[in-house]
Amino acid sequence: MPIAGVVITTRPDDLEATLQALAGFKALEVHASDAEGNIVAVLDTGSLDAMEGLVREINGVRTILSVGLTYLNAEDEIERPGSGERLFGLRSHQEQ
Amino acid sequence: MAQTRRDFLKKTAALSAASYVGVHLPFDGTALAGTEEGITWHPGTCRLCGSGCRLELGVKKGEPVGLRGIPGARTNFGYLCMKGMLFWKCMRHPDRLTTPLYREKKTDPFRKISWDQALDIAAARFADAVRQHGNDSVAYYGSGQALTEETYLFQKIMRGGLQTNNVEGNPRLCMASAVGGYLTSFGADEPIGGYADMEKATCFFIIGSNTAEAHPVLFRRIMRRKLDNPEVKVINADPRLSQTSRIADKHLQFRPGTDLALLNGMANVIMEEKLYDQNFLSTYATFRQGKEKKEVSLDDYRKFVAGYTPEKVAGICGGNITADDIRQVARWFATATGTVSLWTMGINQRKRGVWANNLIHNLHILTGQLLKEGADSLSLTGQPNACGGVREGGGLCHILPGHRLVKKEKLRNQVEDAWGIPRGRIPPKPGYHTMAMFSAVNDGRIKAIWINCTSPAQSLPNCDHYNKGLAREDVFIVCTDIFPTRTTEYANLVLPTAFHFEKTGVYGCTERRSQLTRKAIDPPGDARPEVWIVREWAARLADRMKDPVISQCIKPFSGLDASYDLPRAIWTEYTQKVTKGRDNDLRGATYEVLARMADGVQWPALDEKYALTGGTTKKFVKGKDPLATIHSQNDLPYQFYGPAHPDRKLWVWLRPQADPEEMPDAGYPFYLSTGRIIDHWHTMSMTGRVPELLRANPYAYVEINPRDARRLGISPGDMVEVRSRRGVNLLPAKVYEGPVEGMVFVYWHDQEESRMINKVTKDAFDPGSKEPEFKICAATVRRVSGPRPLKPFLVRG
Ligand code: SF4
Repeated sequence: MPIAGVVITTRPDDLEATLQALAGFKALEVHASDAEGNIVAVLDTGSLDAMEGLVREINGVRTILSVGLTYLNAEDEIERPGSGERLFGLRSHQEQ
Repeated sequence: MAQTRRDFLKKTAALSAASYVGVHLPFDGTALAGTEEGITWHPGTCRLCGSGCRLELGVKKGEPVGLRGIPGARTNFGYLCMKGMLFWKCMRHPDRLTTPLYREKKTDPFRKISWDQALDIAAARFADAVRQHGNDSVAYYGSGQALTEETYLFQKIMRGGLQTNNVEGNPRLCMASAVGGYLTSFGADEPIGGYADMEKATCFFIIGSNTAEAHPVLFRRIMRRKLDNPEVKVINADPRLSQTSRIADKHLQFRPGTDLALLNGMANVIMEEKLYDQNFLSTYATFRQGKEKKEVSLDDYRKFVAGYTPEKVAGICGGNITADDIRQVARWFATATGTVSLWTMGINQRKRGVWANNLIHNLHILTGQLLKEGADSLSLTGQPNACGGVREGGGLCHILPGHRLVKKEKLRNQVEDAWGIPRGRIPPKPGYHTMAMFSAVNDGRIKAIWINCTSPAQSLPNCDHYNKGLAREDVFIVCTDIFPTRTTEYANLVLPTAFHFEKTGVYGCTERRSQLTRKAIDPPGDARPEVWIVREWAARLADRMKDPVISQCIKPFSGLDASYDLPRAIWTEYTQKVTKGRDNDLRGATYEVLARMADGVQWPALDEKYALTGGTTKKFVKGKDPLATIHSQNDLPYQFYGPAHPDRKLWVWLRPQADPEEMPDAGYPFYLSTGRIIDHWHTMSMTGRVPELLRANPYAYVEINPRDARRLGISPGDMVEVRSRRGVNLLPAKVYEGPVEGMVFVYWHDQEESRMINKVTKDAFDPGSKEPEFKICAATVRRVSGPRPLKPFLVRG
């Protein structure tokens, strides 16, 4: 269950609309924003896969110019017991 | 994980993000102490592009568990992109190579062998080749991803030990034209300024670079600058609309291969409208023409660019460009308080890539948009250590470490003296450049080649042609890598190497900045650092060839621990003995200093005290560059001491428009171009193994302009054949208002046979830089069927 800190950037004029759009993402918590269009948020997803998908979706919001990652903790992923194959939930695509 | 701990971690994440933008949160870090208990954070540099973002790897119980940016780093101020955030997942991947593999014949299966056996075989095969076929029958082909210590040691053994300059690397495929451009325009390689200019610039000219996807964290800086200062102008010139165009005030979508005309057109406006800086020009510049570098006058130059009127150029460029657009962007460029130009492969990977680089530099010299804060002509690097390792560390066939030309005896002698080997040991003739090297493999002139950390079987243009050579049974191939690749499929010997953070060494990024990454975790299985591999191989070579000079090459490194002391000793020799007195003087950037810096040191940095300030932000400027003061010959503030310009001036070049080697015609009516996508990198051997990145873009596709698609009856997802005179791909279509009409664009990462676009690209190369023209060739495009289910593909062991 990885957790990431991000700074999402939008044009200042689009800040309100962007915050509204972000309210629709369940795995995202907005912690703060400022007049320059910076939005401080935390992503808390079930897997890194979901995290990547979420970042992609956020990037796809029309008013968002960038999603800058600053922090990622994925320690849960390695705490799962299992072989090397399962460490990070990795498996080569050909076996998927 | 307990809920409370999870909440704490979320607050830690929020605080991290908030600190970057100076936003205050209603809680502070003190209560969170202990949240990350058991995690140690290890500083280093991102592995996945040339931006040089600094980050820390979180390690718990010897395993990587997380990543965070380093806010104090002047490269990225703590920001990372998703690709950078996930590269650590390669570290414990089950596909990692963990033991040496060998096969006598390339058609046999590999078998596991010991390191002793592997190193004996490698030494025997290289020694035999030299004995039977001469010194130039062996070669090293390296990488802009190898650490500087690795490139330096490999080339030392090849040149000083095996007496061949057959030392090359994949930066030939991406950066060589930028090297040629800097040398011929400014007299010295590498940029004058750096990223810090972005926060001072009032105009950005981005040409031939999809910065948003290829250098996302740098793009963030540009975007932030634009958002904070809406009057800042962003010009994006590219035949393809990309994510970068999102923030552009003007996108110039020109027909592929007309870039030189466009740049001369801008120069025309600057001359006609007297937007040039007469004082700067008469003090610091001369005008040059032709192979013989003949000096001509300002008037000659004016007459030359008079042939590139905006109206004429708009006609040549086609696309959406009007004469007024050209006038407009030239005015923005010239009149801004500071203009920064940025480019990458769109400019470099051209038949006349050096000329294209010269013409960008011309605009900066003409307008004086150089040397001052907020102005620079900045070529972005694609790989994390193309600059530091290969350009500076002697990783190309014509250059020795410290920006020395092989052909100059005095410079060869300096290196020989530094190495304590007899003068005359390094041969005077440059070795094979990349395309010549693989041609020599093709026709059997090279008998043994060491390929390190790169995959030419996929990354060379017209790769099928060169892969015939790699398949020859009389060419012995060693590959050092972390994963199987298209190239290990041709190897006799595959040696597993330690990955980033599993070993210690320095990367030098785009802006002359060297940064240290120390070992934080153990490599898997029996993977070893390259510096250990080369040292042990060289020791066996010395024995076999009974050559004390080879022993001398590794003597300073004998017995040192490979995880730190060995790379440190190599770096110390390189910086203290070999860069001393050169323009990339790195003597102040010792391991001890680098370890204290959040973001490394920009050369020149002659001593530790100066290096601890961060080094030189602007080359050639007295007061900012210690060498400018040392080499000063007058009272002027700028001193161009670069070795290539004896007149100590900047050179404005008269370079005409030059078409690509291959133009569309009736048989092959489309331009084909290739490039990157945000999630993947190069031949996907790493990013393809991060499932999150692979799933986002599991295979390559071909982008087609909607008008072309309509004409050809192609719908989104249809399978489309892209064919050139050299090869063919079968790719799903993405119908998209990206490429200009008449052009298709394909991502080059995919390893699957029918989607490897370098089977289709052309291997023509720039006669100066020898860099191939990946970016343009002629192709046919044809619908084959409706959508088909496709599987992603990676080479397995
Ligand atoms: S921009 Fe490049 S260096 Fe920075 S995090 Fe992304 S891949 Fe790494």
